[in-house]
Amino acid sequence: MLSRVAASLFWMARNMERAESNARVLESRLINALESSEYGKLATDDWEAVLEICSSVTEYRSMYDACEARPIAQYITFDARNINSIVNCLENARHNARSVRDNIPEELWELLNEQYLTLRDEEFYAWSIRDIQAFLQQTKRLSFMIQGVIESSMLREEPYHFIKVGKWIERAEKTARVLNVVCEKTTQLKEETQTDHYYYWLSALQFLNGYDAYLKRFPPTMEPKHVLPFLVSYEQFPRSIEYCMDHVREAVMQLEGGKVSHYSEELFQALDHVTDEFVKMKFQQMDSADIGPFLDRFQNDCNRLASVFASTYYFV
Amino acid sequence: MLETYSIEDFYDEMMADVRKPRPHYEKFHRILLEMNQEELHEKHETAQLSFLRQGITFTVYHEEGGTERTMPFDFVPVIIDDEQWSGIEAGIKQRVRALNLFLEDVYNEGRILHEGIVPRGVVENNQYFYRKQAGGFEVPNDNRIFLAGIDLIRGDEGVYRVLEDNLRNPSGLSYVYQNRFVMRKVFPEFFFEHDIRTLEHQMSHLHEALLSHVPENSPSKNAPQAVLLTPGMYNSAYYDHVFLAQQMGIELVEGRDLLVKDKAVYMKTVRGLQRVDIIYRRIDDDFIDPEEFNPDSELGVPGLMEAYRNGNVAILNGVGNGVADDKEIYAYVPEMIRFYLGEEPMIPNVDTYFLRDEDVRRDVLGRLEELVVKNVGASGGYDMLIGPQASPEQIELFKQKIEETPEQYIAQPTIQLSRAPAFQKKRFYPCHVDLRVFAVGGDDFHVLPGGLTRVALKEGSLVVNSSQGGGGKDTWVLKKGAVPNA
Repeated sequence: MLSRVAASLFWMARNMERAESNARVLESRLINALESSEYGKLATDDWEAVLEICSSVTEYRSMYDACEARPIAQYITFDARNINSIVNCLENARHNARSVRDNIPEELWELLNEQYLTLRDEEFYAWSIRDIQAFLQQTKRLSFMIQGVIESSMLREEPYHFIKVGKWIERAEKTARVLNVVCEKTTQLKEETQTDHYYYWLSALQFLNGYDAYLKRFPPTMEPKHVLPFLVSYEQFPRSIEYCMDHVREAVMQLEGGKVSHYSEELFQALDHVTDEFVKMKFQQMDSADIGPFLDRFQNDCNRLASVFASTYYFV
Repeated sequence: MLETYSIEDFYDEMMADVRKPRPHYEKFHRILLEMNQEELHEKHETAQLSFLRQGITFTVYHEEGGTERTMPFDFVPVIIDDEQWSGIEAGIKQRVRALNLFLEDVYNEGRILHEGIVPRGVVENNQYFYRKQAGGFEVPNDNRIFLAGIDLIRGDEGVYRVLEDNLRNPSGLSYVYQNRFVMRKVFPEFFFEHDIRTLEHQMSHLHEALLSHVPENSPSKNAPQAVLLTPGMYNSAYYDHVFLAQQMGIELVEGRDLLVKDKAVYMKTVRGLQRVDIIYRRIDDDFIDPEEFNPDSELGVPGLMEAYRNGNVAILNGVGNGVADDKEIYAYVPEMIRFYLGEEPMIPNVDTYFLRDEDVRRDVLGRLEELVVKNVGASGGYDMLIGPQASPEQIELFKQKIEETPEQYIAQPTIQLSRAPAFQKKRFYPCHVDLRVFAVGGDDFHVLPGGLTRVALKEGSLVVNSSQGGGGKDTWVLKKGAVPNA
């Protein structure tokens, strides 16, 4: 398989996954906003957290003054200047898919193309919050359908595995990012008010589609000592960092026929390095203060892993 | 439904006269009359949408960038009966065979030039003649034409004539398939009673023909690696490239995916470099290798031509084919057929006047309003004058152009292109059509049954090019015995 094709498949999957997770984060924040005050420091903090997860607070601040629902929702959803806006992610995914049409199922291309066609003539700035919410739902569904097409019709050959690696790396990284932001916000709040705040841990679960699953296993008190391990290393939760990394490893194993070769050695080392970090973490009592450095390391490792992966397969 | 349909002085593909269809259209005509306007309109919309959804588009460029557009589809097919088709098939084979011999000749000995059948200057001054880059070596199968698209038209007397040869990168084959596919899906009722030649096995022919061009020094002669080289997704024919690569099961590569090392071509794969033996390229000569052509080309592969000349890779269609399909050389094709094959051309040309000849020029300038004038170097319907439809200003402009560079233009009588009914905006009206027939060259030449019927959907327009509002139709070739002798 051509390296350019592999790279496009990898990025197609990452873009799609990114669109889905950003849609979910924004959607749950918009719902929560209904129940809390829209003004004051807390609201601003909450919106900043969302911006930090989906793109960048600094960039947003350089373009907009108001830190409130509408402009932020617009920025995250369709602002052309935001490279990670959902609309941009979807367009990138379609662009990637178009350049590898002969390597993906026809239905996959058609789904992305159809979405592109409906968005082509949209007057985005006329969208109300409700329109945006409907679009977020639609984006999540699109992602589900696309994953369905991939699972049900793709040969388990190289293109499939490259898609998987892209998806799992993106997902692991997003979980780490959510946790990082949440830990930071919790710590800040604790210093300011001298009490524990579980509110952000609840948001983290919602952002990562883990709230219902969590409640089945743990008491509804959102203790960090339960939530953190759940999101970091709960092996049955398909968005926990450990679950995602296991799947990255599995996809790479498939690509390599289960063998470590000379050229893939560095890639396997990078994977081992991440796993080792987990083993260390497991034996420690995780709390939001020590987890910060771990997450920072993990995000760096993730970037390194993606770049080693790219060079192993000669991505352009 | 066809009550208001008019035929006038044109040859109509479907109707013999206002009431009666031609014998091979009888069944189609009957089924059509059983349907109603609303139903047809709905189906028509479904068909257009299906092209858009599948992304079967071409890109149109304008100041603000490119827009992806679909080629409008018209469901009334052009039907060709078996006898007519046998004539077309044999005539196309003859013509392409002669054109290939011509290419082999002018890039090697040049017999036809020595004999003075084709003036030396016409070949050597041709802007697409690349003697230095593409001459003096053997190509696999002695074949330089892997895929040709020959455009046919019919005048008011119904005789097929060749309008144009396309021996470089003829596009449109994907539309032949997609038109049929959509037609079957949306209008199945038309197929129940018709026995038409299928397109099913044609792709394996194409693939086999491609693989028959193994270069001399290929290390894997039994399992050569073939690729399709595309300029990329911004090219207007990108869908055509995707389709062909997909159907033949070969890799679709861009210039940046290839590199030349020790005069051999490799593609960059996830497992390292992999040797490439055969390249079906859809990049023009000018962009194929920056070392020997346009040095600014980023689409091409440096060193490719050297690998080609050394017999390490096959490039299809051959480099320098443009010398055989331009509008000036066109006039000599009947002579080529006589010279190389000792046969009379089965499909005639359209008469062509060279404007470099002073007497001819005077005659032509005197009656521009009845002629068609074309720039020999242009294609796609650009820089062209259709006398009978032109304004006095346009005619004056072309007079000047011809006086300035007479060798750049040719003139032809205006052919009253045949028409066929088209159904758009809920009504039938007659539109001019032409037919691009595809010929495939491998060990021998093979003609795909049917081809792409292009239709000028703007009423009265003679320009069928998709870049100028033309559409497509499905083209049926009936099997032998499918039409009772009427």
